[in-house]
Amino acid sequence: MSSIKSATDESASRAATVAGGTTISEEERRAGFGHRWGMSVDIDLCTGCQACVVACQTENNVAINEEQRVTEKRAKSWIRIERYWEGEFPNAKARYLPVLCQHCDNAPCEPVCPAWATYHNEEGLNVQVYNRCIGTRFCANGCPYSVRHFNFWNPEWPDSLENMLNPDVTVRTKGIIEKCTFCVQRINRARRDAAQSDTVVKDGDISPACVQACPTNSLVFGDLKDPFSKVSEAANSDRAYHLLEERGTGPAVVYLKKIDPNATSSSEEHHG
Amino acid sequence: MDILKAFLPRLTGRQFLMIGIPAVVLGGGLVTGLAVLIILGATGATARPAPTQPIAYDHSLHAGDLGIPCEFCHRGTDTQAAATIPSVEQCMFCHSVVATDRDEIKKITTAFESNTPIEWMRVHRMPDHVRFTHEAHIKAKIECSTCHGPVEDMKTVKQVVNLNMGTCLACHRDTNGRSIGANNPHPISVDSAPMDCAICHK
Repeated sequence: MSSIKSATDESASRAATVAGGTTISEEERRAGFGHRWGMSVDIDLCTGCQACVVACQTENNVAINEEQRVTEKRAKSWIRIERYWEGEFPNAKARYLPVLCQHCDNAPCEPVCPAWATYHNEEGLNVQVYNRCIGTRFCANGCPYSVRHFNFWNPEWPDSLENMLNPDVTVRTKGIIEKCTFCVQRINRARRDAAQSDTVVKDGDISPACVQACPTNSLVFGDLKDPFSKVSEAANSDRAYHLLEERGTGPAVVYLKKIDPNATSSSEEHHG
Repeated sequence: MDILKAFLPRLTGRQFLMIGIPAVVLGGGLVTGLAVLIILGATGATARPAPTQPIAYDHSLHAGDLGIPCEFCHRGTDTQAAATIPSVEQCMFCHSVVATDRDEIKKITTAFESNTPIEWMRVHRMPDHVRFTHEAHIKAKIECSTCHGPVEDMKTVKQVVNLNMGTCLACHRDTNGRSIGANNPHPISVDSAPMDCAICHK
């Protein structure tokens, strides 16, 4: 079993693992099959509260979106809640869809970077190396999920928030692209902590800021290569789907469909 | 050539002396300066002098002659990212009784009594976009001197290893080559030096 596989191989083998009843033991996994970090988003549980958005903003030193930036359509948020209305006024319903970097296995943003600032690492993260970025914005143009953000200005914070910045995350300057990292600093810290106590990173050890902040546990983070992880469970659910699946990007973020007993097939076509 | 001449200013002898010669001298100086910078950069020479510390602390005495382990003063290297600069209290562990009559030690006592920290000058600094953690390297049994040089022989500590990305990568690559390559069964495991950008670039 090779540790590096294509998107289709990996999802196929994942399915086979569960369907065939053969599973990788904990020892085998410790021996180094590596990780494939992923997230599941249960749309049924999401209330659109924006706690994930604020948590991400704080954890990752994302600049504050002032009103002017929003009207200029230059607002940045690594995770955003898209709101879709269904029905007409008295019976209107809002549906929420948290959208973050999907860490695609076949990412459209990666091959277009002339500076190798963005690449796919061995744990399936779509990594952005900030000090290598030269700001061509090719990647942002290629991203079908619009989750890459360009810094048109140097970020500024009010004096009262000077000491708020997270030392584990770079403050991005003008002229480079930034995006969700799955809180790679937390992944690395969990790995170091595990190494200190001579263990391995277990399911639930790592939670990115958004996952930690989610009050309804709509967001779950984990290892897709671990068949027992919560996120693998979600990925194998009947309700699982990927955003813009037809683009073939192979995202690592799995969405779970809304459970709506009153929904009909026709009402689902009125999104947006 | 005729076109070129039309664009170039025609200099008389006197103008040539006043403009031409300084221009050549300045230009030459610039080129030489750049060349020196490039050569220094390529050879990896750290020309930065040792900063002057507020107290003439002698590493060659403490770490060298007395053989005090680095971790005795720089606590936390094995449990956290930063190798801490010892607090005044830490100095006072010994210097409340040892050599209290010397001028340099009196500075510590004064700092301790007036409750003011000593403003040590920083010697080694990683860029802001680098996530360096001491604990991982101590765990991997890397000697302090690998990056910090023979501190036990230095009266005043200065940076001797050019801590740029090449230095990090050369060591990570040599320590083990297991962490890169498509057929590698241990992509990023606890006992390998990772080669992944996201490990160090934050």
